[in-house]
Amino acid sequence: MGYFDVPDIQYPRYTNRQLAAVPLGLLAVALLVLSGSFLLTGAPVPLGMDFTGGAELTIQTTSSEAQIQTAFSVEPDSIQRIQAPGVDNQYTVQFAGIEDDEAIQTLSEQAAAELEQDGNAEIVQQESTASASFAAQTQQTALLGIAVAFVGMSALTFLLFRTFVPSIAIVLSAFSDLVIPLAFMSIAGISLSLGTVAALLMLIGYSVDSDILLNNHVLRRSGDFYESTSRAMTTGVTMTVTSMAAMLVMGIVASLFGIELLASIGTILFVGLAADLMNTYLLNLSLLRWYKFEGVRS
Amino acid sequence: MSTNPIAFVKEYWRVILLVAFLAFALVALFIPGGIMADDSLADNLGDNETAANQSGDEGFTNLEYGIGLDGGTRVSAPATGMTVDELDIDDNEQRDIESTLYTELDIERSDATVRYHENDDRYTAEVFTENVTAAEFASALQSAGLDVTEDDVENGVTQETRDEMINTIELRVNEAGLSGGNVYQEATVDGGYYIVTEVPGMSPEELRGLLSDRGDVQIVAYHPDGNGNQTNDTVLNDDDFSDISPPAFDEQEGTHYVPVTVDNTEGSDGNSAASEFQSAMNEYGFTSEGIGQCSVHDRDAGEFNFDQDQQQWCMLTVVDDEIIDAHSMGSGLGGDMESGTWANDPGFRMIVPTQQDAQYLSVNLQSGALTAPLDFSQEQTYSTEPALADQFKTFSLLIGVLSVITVSGVVFLRYRDPRVAAPMIVTALSEVVILLGFAALIRMPIDLSHVAGFIAVVGTGVDDLIIIADEVMSDGDVSSHRVFESRFSKAFWVIGAAAATTVIALSPLAVLSLGDLRGFAIITILGVLIGVLITRPAYGGILERLLTDK
Repeated sequence: MGYFDVPDIQYPRYTNRQLAAVPLGLLAVALLVLSGSFLLTGAPVPLGMDFTGGAELTIQTTSSEAQIQTAFSVEPDSIQRIQAPGVDNQYTVQFAGIEDDEAIQTLSEQAAAELEQDGNAEIVQQESTASASFAAQTQQTALLGIAVAFVGMSALTFLLFRTFVPSIAIVLSAFSDLVIPLAFMSIAGISLSLGTVAALLMLIGYSVDSDILLNNHVLRRSGDFYESTSRAMTTGVTMTVTSMAAMLVMGIVASLFGIELLASIGTILFVGLAADLMNTYLLNLSLLRWYKFEGVRS
Repeated sequence: MSTNPIAFVKEYWRVILLVAFLAFALVALFIPGGIMADDSLADNLGDNETAANQSGDEGFTNLEYGIGLDGGTRVSAPATGMTVDELDIDDNEQRDIESTLYTELDIERSDATVRYHENDDRYTAEVFTENVTAAEFASALQSAGLDVTEDDVENGVTQETRDEMINTIELRVNEAGLSGGNVYQEATVDGGYYIVTEVPGMSPEELRGLLSDRGDVQIVAYHPDGNGNQTNDTVLNDDDFSDISPPAFDEQEGTHYVPVTVDNTEGSDGNSAASEFQSAMNEYGFTSEGIGQCSVHDRDAGEFNFDQDQQQWCMLTVVDDEIIDAHSMGSGLGGDMESGTWANDPGFRMIVPTQQDAQYLSVNLQSGALTAPLDFSQEQTYSTEPALADQFKTFSLLIGVLSVITVSGVVFLRYRDPRVAAPMIVTALSEVVILLGFAALIRMPIDLSHVAGFIAVVGTGVDDLIIIADEVMSDGDVSSHRVFESRFSKAFWVIGAAAATTVIALSPLAVLSLGDLRGFAIITILGVLIGVLITRPAYGGILERLLTDK
């Protein structure tokens, strides 16, 4: 083939238990991380301003980061310098979890009053605020969205394959595809924003593609199990790796440029697709092999 | 290759369809607006310090950009208020119940209304203030003789109220001289509604100012009550005016004013707003002893002092319970009113201290009062400066291009056969072009979330093309049309299934109101549909032509 070859895993050498142990172990660790974080902080992942209320400002100023840190009546949660070609003195400042609506609205005025202007440019270049009650509403909506998407995807999977084990294998690995990036966010301190919710939903759609491909090759085609698997893998891994590459580039470039929405979509999809590679070809495959060789007979 | 045109179309319909859609998209993207040089891009990359130039909509495409890519502000907030639905009342009770609400709850006339809904023949009562609790509202209705409990009181206002608010806000945005504004409502999960106002080229402070004014204009007569004291009587409300002219300036007097005309169409009792105003002025003495007798307003200091020794006859201009201006009756206007001829041509000038006051007053009079105030304790704001928006435009283009290059790189590395890889990239890109054309056609404003959607579309698109390519090329060469067709349809099952899951996963986002994300979901879903129906079959056609021996 080419420079980029899909590795051949010697599946016959491993038992189903061995294959499934890795992804299930990781899933358990991820769930442990999320519940630990839930017990410690009250939320499985850090929630951004979209879900807790607060503000995000993009400011252009010649003041130093230390000055920005102290310029506001509420201390910012994060200050990020934007590193894009031709852009200087731009920062993204985030405030999450502010209950007081009045305080949220005065943040941009404080920035304009306390910071040094950079030439003629306006100090507050971008302002995004959400009051606590609006954010609570958003949180509810987002949870509902994810739940509906997941249930819908599961129902469709069962409809497509009409057999229990292969369908539940897809649903289980899709679940793990969601949980692992969430745990990653919790550890890496990436807060949940509208962008990451979009990424998680996209992941539900994206990640089952390779599972459907695998199941289709194994169940709906004639031929040897391992041959079908290897063919599905060649296609599926190419697919996933292509998407991962695109998402990695988007994630890195967008976070340098300070475009938060694209950055979080890119990062989360990259992590989720990596998890999907493992879940599809270890977890889904082991369940499928069990079904094909042992489950069907009983 | 056949020379018969019908056979040609039959064989290449997939590719022909793609070309047709592409051509259509390109026309929608470029033609109607003409092709203009886009220098905003070069400006931004070259010199960012002076990037404050607002490029507006003048790109070389017909695409429209949203707040995030064009600059502007969006404010979402619900209406303040409570509603009791399906009141059991008769036609003639409507006004009585309204007055009971005003007195029982001790609120302004504008803060309560009883509506009749013609469509489904029902009555609703609404209160538009935070100062009344549900229990108080219910007990006020009980004292009006209605069987209403606290549980019947719902949060939120009726659709009619929201429609009126949206109309008023639209008028205000247009009055402020800004085009491209957009006002709409968005439903939330728990059945509430947000009113969303988007205005390009306005700062959050300006837009909040525009939205937070209730805009309830009244003319109040401040006059002696005959017992040695002064009293207030509201003589004109903002629905008494029939015509409002733009604000003007009187060079001679040095005053800013809004020329208005009072409605003189006669009601069923033979009186009009103008004639009632005229007779009130005569009755209170404004047109006789009161002419020129108003000294409460110190115009130089901009202050009002109602503690005066002499009797006062003042016309107060009151907006949202705040006195904007106080002035006396002029002799000319007073004379016309006294003789009763004024009502035939009922115009006068509303004088205000500053030009800005005149502007606000004119906007408020034109648009009428906001039926219910917006609840800013539940608001969400998003705003971008035009300079940063331009920067985002350039960057998102750059990110898009980089993602496409990355995808192309991986695909070339994997297949190393340009016959397979090149059409793959071209097909995936044409999907984006068709989508952009569609966006330009329906004038969908492109925002950052849409850009994410475009990139996702390239991603899923290429994924599916990989499935087609691998399937078609499996087991050696494709020797005949039949072999190709059978392999292609096998691949298509997987693609269809994958597309269906993506559409299902993203459809909640397309329906729910999650701010920015709707655009992302809509573009991705559309992209998947265009992909499955048009571009992916076409790729199959191209691949067949390239791989089969003809």
